[in-house]
Amino acid sequence: MRPDLRASCRPALWLVVLCFALSGRAAGVANDAATVLVLYTNGRLVPGNVEVERGLSRTLAGLSSRPAHIFSEFLDFPEFTGAAHELNLMRYLREKYDRRRPDVLVAVAKESLDFTFRHRADLFPGGPVVHAAVFKSYLDSNPTLPADVVGVPVEYDPAGTIEQALRWHPSARRLIIVNGATPRDTEWEAQLKALAPRFEERVKVEFLSGLTTAALHQRLATLDADCVVFTPGYYQGSDSVRFTPRDSVEAMARVSAAPVYGPFSSLIGTGAVGGRIPSFEAMGQQAGQIVAHLLSGAAPATLALPQVMPNQLTIDWRQAQRWGIDDAQIPDDTMVHFRQPTLWETYRGLAIATAAVVLLQAGLIVALLLEQRRRRRAEVAVQVQRSELAHASRLSVAGELTASIAHEINQPLGAILASADAAELMLKSGVDRREDLLRIVTRIRRDDLRASDVIRKLRALLAKHAPEREPFDLGLAISDVAKLLEAEAHRREVTLEVQTTQAEAAVVGDVVQIQQVLINLIINAIDAVADMPPDRRNVTVDVKSAAAAITVTVRDRGHGIAPEHLPRLFDSFFSTKQRGMGLGLSIARTIVEAHGGRVWAENGPREGAVFHVELTAAAVPNSVSMASA
Amino acid sequence: MNREALIHVVDDDESFRTSLLELLTAAGFEARGYASTGDFLLDPTPDRPGCLLLDVRMPGPSGLDLQASLLRQAKTIPVVFLTGHADVTTGIRAMKAGAVDFLEKPIQRDALLDAIARALERDTGRRKAHDEAHRHHERLAALTTRERDVFERIVAGRLNKQIADELGISLRTVKVHRAHLMEKLGVATAAELGRFAGEGRNLHD
Repeated sequence: MRPDLRASCRPALWLVVLCFALSGRAAGVANDAATVLVLYTNGRLVPGNVEVERGLSRTLAGLSSRPAHIFSEFLDFPEFTGAAHELNLMRYLREKYDRRRPDVLVAVAKESLDFTFRHRADLFPGGPVVHAAVFKSYLDSNPTLPADVVGVPVEYDPAGTIEQALRWHPSARRLIIVNGATPRDTEWEAQLKALAPRFEERVKVEFLSGLTTAALHQRLATLDADCVVFTPGYYQGSDSVRFTPRDSVEAMARVSAAPVYGPFSSLIGTGAVGGRIPSFEAMGQQAGQIVAHLLSGAAPATLALPQVMPNQLTIDWRQAQRWGIDDAQIPDDTMVHFRQPTLWETYRGLAIATAAVVLLQAGLIVALLLEQRRRRRAEVAVQVQRSELAHASRLSVAGELTASIAHEINQPLGAILASADAAELMLKSGVDRREDLLRIVTRIRRDDLRASDVIRKLRALLAKHAPEREPFDLGLAISDVAKLLEAEAHRREVTLEVQTTQAEAAVVGDVVQIQQVLINLIINAIDAVADMPPDRRNVTVDVKSAAAAITVTVRDRGHGIAPEHLPRLFDSFFSTKQRGMGLGLSIARTIVEAHGGRVWAENGPREGAVFHVELTAAAVPNSVSMASA
Repeated sequence: MNREALIHVVDDDESFRTSLLELLTAAGFEARGYASTGDFLLDPTPDRPGCLLLDVRMPGPSGLDLQASLLRQAKTIPVVFLTGHADVTTGIRAMKAGAVDFLEKPIQRDALLDAIARALERDTGRRKAHDEAHRHHERLAALTTRERDVFERIVAGRLNKQIADELGISLRTVKVHRAHLMEKLGVATAAELGRFAGEGRNLHD
């Protein structure tokens, strides 16, 4: 019961909270939205101003308890100066912000702060003032600020920047300091001249002040490698071309043959190398923090503020590369801009993934290769085993055929010996029977070739050899086998008939192995009819050549195969012979199947057994090399 | 060698046969070749001294078959077997049937000529025996029935007196028959007559 109750209560509760929140917010927008006016000394597009505005607005948006509307105004100093301009500005600001009084005024840079002091009572009575980007030296040289004017002063550090520049360029012999011709520029020049003696021990300090931009650029372009340029930038040289300091530095850095340093963060990215500089964005952030505190009701006097804006060693990494500053010389706390990430940094994820894929793939390939090698080895082992078995079985066939083989060889040997004896007798007789002798010698040669032919065939058949894959004529192979077995058949009073086709029966494989299969089948057939009456003692071998396959059939007229033996006929160690090992047909099948063919047995339509060997016909029936056993 | 001898070679292997005939001719024999047992049997063999060189394994009837057939026909030409492969069983069969020798190819010339010589010697002996038996038979055939009766009784060891009694003729008549038959058989003494009878027994047994 209770869970149900709670479950139904909860949405209602949330709804109430949400309503309160929304109504509270709406009220805040209506009543509490603060107005913050930021008064910049220079123009809207001066980069330092842009950075300050960014830091301020972001910080304020993040910190303020009250929504704040930030308005920016620009005194456009030093382009616009003078009493009339100030008067116009005053009128404009007064009328513009008459009905929307700023809760806090932010004065950026000293001219703006001066302006504020002069017209504060008129324009912004009562509101606290926050200053930013104002030199500490300026503040120090003026009467103490009112309690409701707060801010963290800036102390540019041209000396620190120059020190750092000389550290990064230890071979530098000249320090070139560039200044413009406007009052602001000459003020900088005076400040820098006061610093010069600090460096004169180490380098020659030269001032390029108030030149035309063209002349200045020419000087900069012809500088030696042992120079370092320092400039706060300028608004105007002795000609009519006007710049922002940033733009002037950018133009100088573009042409200068020596590295250019400056004291402002806004110079980073223009081509200046860097320096020990306060960040305008940090100034904006600092101002934003103070504004946020003031808006939340804090009294200006109670704020604990740093004495001065910290300066940050800052460097443009691209320039460091350009001027040969080693990464090792850049301190760890340096703010490095524009560092181009290395390929590794940019593509680390991709690289790792790629490497992983490559590794995985390589692993897979290695595994597959190993597997393939193992398989090939196994295949070779099987082939060797098959070949050894085949060899053994051929030897056993050879044993059975010894009588026939001896007969085949002794026949020509006998003829040769007789011829030789006859020739000797003729020679001894003293009668000139040259023609007879010639005839005898011719016959000796013929018989000799006949004998060696028999031996060659036997050796080819019995030799241990690696299985080959060559095209050969099956008909020819069968004829050779028949010649070899005719004597055996005759010895056992069996008629052996071989009918080969006229056309070539080309197959691809190992001719010796195939011949062995045929010998095996034919000897089996001879065995099968050995105890039959004479009229049934015959064995027929024929070859039928079809388009795709060639079939050899061995037929006998014996008792045939017992039906129960048919399925096991080609099994290893199955034999119906008394002395048989039962390997012959098993090897025959192995060989035929290794050739992509098949062997099978059946009983003849009337009597005896019929064995078929079917082999795939070779693709090219013409140019077949005639391999013979 | 024996100029009258005629040597028959039966071998289906044309090459071997030709070579062998060549050898025999060169050795001074007259020789004839036959490709099969049938060819040999069909050839009208002249009645001359000689022998038969016979291959064992041939298409159709084998050498052993021919040997058996000749024996049955009482043709006693000596046989030397020549074989491509000498297996013991065949060899024993051939020798038992009266072969002079059983030679395995290739055959050493001396062994062959020696076998031929022995075969011819056997043939000569056979022919001589045959001739003597023939002569014996002819002489006996010249005797009259009465003379034959007397001859058999003399050979059986009877005395004249016993013969006269057995045949129912006079002693004198026995003596006349005895003188005639000794003259016809070409013997002068009783001892010679006994030897003649003994030879006849050997020849006809």
